Amino acid sequence: MGTPDEMGVLLVGLGLVMYAVSAGADFGGGVWTALASGPRADEQREALFQAIGPVWETNHVWLVYIIVALFTCFPRGFEALSIALIFPLVFSLVGVNFRGAAFVFRHFGRHKGARIPGVEAVFSISSVLTPFFMGMAVSSIAGGRIRVAPSGPALSGQAMPYWGAADWITPFTIVGGLIGLSVCAYLTPIYMAARTAGGLRDDFRRRAIAGALALGFLTAIEVVVARFDAPLFFWRFVRPLPLALAALAAFCGCLTLVLLLRRAYGAARWVADFAVAFTIAGFAAALYPYMIIGQLSLAQAAAGRQAILAVLTTLPIGAALLAPSLFLLYRTFAMNLISGGPGDN
Amino acid sequence: MENLLFARTLMGISLGFHIVYVAFGIGFPLLLLVSELLALKTGNEQYHRLARSWTRPMTMLFAIGAVSGTILSFELGLLWPRFMGFSGQMIGLPFWLEGFAFFTEAIFIGLYIYGGNRLSRRALLLCTVPITIASAASAIFVISANGWMNSPGGFTPAGLGAADVRPWRALANKAWAHEAIHGALATYVAASFAIAGVYALRLLRKGRGGMSPDRPGPTNFNLSRPGLSLSLAVGGLLVPLMLVTGDYSATWVARQQPAKLAAMEIVPRTTRGAPMVIGGWLDETTGQIRYGLQVPKLLSLLAFHDPDARVLGLDAFPPALRPDANKVHPLFDLMVFSFFVMLAPSVWFWIARWRKKDVFASRPLLASIVIASPFGLVAQEAGWMVTEFGRQPWIAYQVMNVSNGVTPRSVEWVLVLFVLVYAALTAGLLKLLLAPEAKAGAPDEEEKY
Repeated sequence: MGTPDEMGVLLVGLGLVMYAVSAGADFGGGVWTALASGPRADEQREALFQAIGPVWETNHVWLVYIIVALFTCFPRGFEALSIALIFPLVFSLVGVNFRGAAFVFRHFGRHKGARIPGVEAVFSISSVLTPFFMGMAVSSIAGGRIRVAPSGPALSGQAMPYWGAADWITPFTIVGGLIGLSVCAYLTPIYMAARTAGGLRDDFRRRAIAGALALGFLTAIEVVVARFDAPLFFWRFVRPLPLALAALAAFCGCLTLVLLLRRAYGAARWVADFAVAFTIAGFAAALYPYMIIGQLSLAQAAAGRQAILAVLTTLPIGAALLAPSLFLLYRTFAMNLISGGPGDN
Repeated sequence: MENLLFARTLMGISLGFHIVYVAFGIGFPLLLLVSELLALKTGNEQYHRLARSWTRPMTMLFAIGAVSGTILSFELGLLWPRFMGFSGQMIGLPFWLEGFAFFTEAIFIGLYIYGGNRLSRRALLLCTVPITIASAASAIFVISANGWMNSPGGFTPAGLGAADVRPWRALANKAWAHEAIHGALATYVAASFAIAGVYALRLLRKGRGGMSPDRPGPTNFNLSRPGLSLSLAVGGLLVPLMLVTGDYSATWVARQQPAKLAAMEIVPRTTRGAPMVIGGWLDETTGQIRYGLQVPKLLSLLAFHDPDARVLGLDAFPPALRPDANKVHPLFDLMVFSFFVMLAPSVWFWIARWRKKDVFASRPLLASIVIASPFGLVAQEAGWMVTEFGRQPWIAYQVMNVSNGVTPRSVEWVLVLFVLVYAALTAGLLKLLLAPEAKAGAPDEEEKY
């Protein structure tokens, strides 16, 4: 396989997919906690809460993985993105923080008989906002509005104005944010349906179907929006490889629906993960060879060959340590081996 | 310049906040390991219950450490994008390796905590081994990145960037060894003393006859004795090492970063046979030391192992490249002072125990442990600030200025926002940690899985 920067892309892409399918499902837990309804609303919340407990922190590590892989393999890209996307990144970060803290506070508080007021609300709201802003941040690199200044010493005292560079709020990125949210809303109920039984399982099945339809609808809309709002991305997208990957994503999405209708939850869980993975892959394939569309290529953003090689050579060693450990964790708690989502219990 | 100040303040607050949780994230695992090992070796069930009693605070502190660490990884870019654009390929590798260590730690902490009813006792003990090793490894890797900022290496400067990057050389930079050893040991000391303080306080309250209604059940008090002994054994054994490793660090700083040493010890002018200054501050206008206690020749002796060695003073550096002695020196003194505050009660405790005194009933002893308990964390924070303030104005020593690394975006709103975030996290955490224990019969979390 090709040049170091191509390998770097695979590393970051792997992180994105893993984060989306594992932590995405945890965020979805917060989304559906907020949207819990019907006679079994409390049971839904309780089941979601129980499912996230042992895994969310492990899943969260993928976010740190993405950041570190980015600044190690693509330092100039990391620099440009950190400057351009300060708003959505800060908002996501606040959400990440409050989501994690609210979850442990609630968990810990329950066992100690102490309660922090509003902790459920904070958990739900931040679970909704975080994937939305992350979706906006990721889609804005394809939105075509980010301008990359030549790298060099910043002029202190000449800070950019607050909202002067709102390149990240466009129709394309807003739909991108909604896609981020719907990825989470789609994955969670499928995992939950596989894990629960009876009326609760039917609740999650209905929500899974709704989530699948929402994700399919929004990704289709995004292509249309791109035609007008992000033409550069659109014309890069309508090439064979991105289209093929998008078709695979659509196929997996439809297959998920069929499997849900036939109540084949175990298989639906896997297919749903692949739908998300192909969606991300299609996006990345359209973007390639750019890191920031039309502005910064991956090769320009990339680190020296040795730096990327060091990361690549340590990966198998790290994986050799982690794979059996993760296997042990998931087997002990009977969870989905790929995503860390809750398993049949 | 203001934006730079906001960025530095936010980075400082974020790291200062994170460091506290790091101490527990690294310190608790070692105590778990020792405790579970004792339980299995001696058959004393108390040690197992002691270890299990830590799982809840540990999960919470670990989780806050994880999210605040995530904030930091983002802030590297959000606040210092120019620096990261330059140095990401050099300091990325230690963060990458730290990721593996952290991941391993998270997995086995999950297993240990939630596996209480699913795993055998031996398996639980075995879980604490990777947790302990991985948590220490995380610290050691991350400190390599700080070491690189203090002694950048493994590349050839090329214009505004770096060429010929040798990441392994950057990782194994010259400052790494001494910073990592001193820093990692400091986390054990900080956590052990903080935990010892909690038990000492419980014993003190009990001694006052205060079996307070919100702390029912004998469990807590029974665990206080082994809890205090264990944490003070670990802390007391390691605290003398702080002096040894601190000396190692100081001799390194004396050779590699003489400006930092001059600020740490207030050396206004290059001198042979430099005195050690305790307390006092530097009068910037006259270049004189005010109100400090000066021990003749001690600095030369300690830093260079020669009482007449020449020590470079601040005057050897242009004013723009001098760290602020009036920040670095008091923090350095505070760190050294904290060491003695912790040393005294631990020596007292172990001598009293050796002489078969009832250490758990001695109110002055317990009180002194309570007083000493926050000083491990104080020393850790102060020591870190000595390193950071002492490196100024460099973000990468003699390679890049802090003001050249900062973001062109306004960050005061980020500062305000994150101060609120940290305040909320701290308030929630304190409320839960200080809340009374659940009534007997409350479900144990491990029972649910």
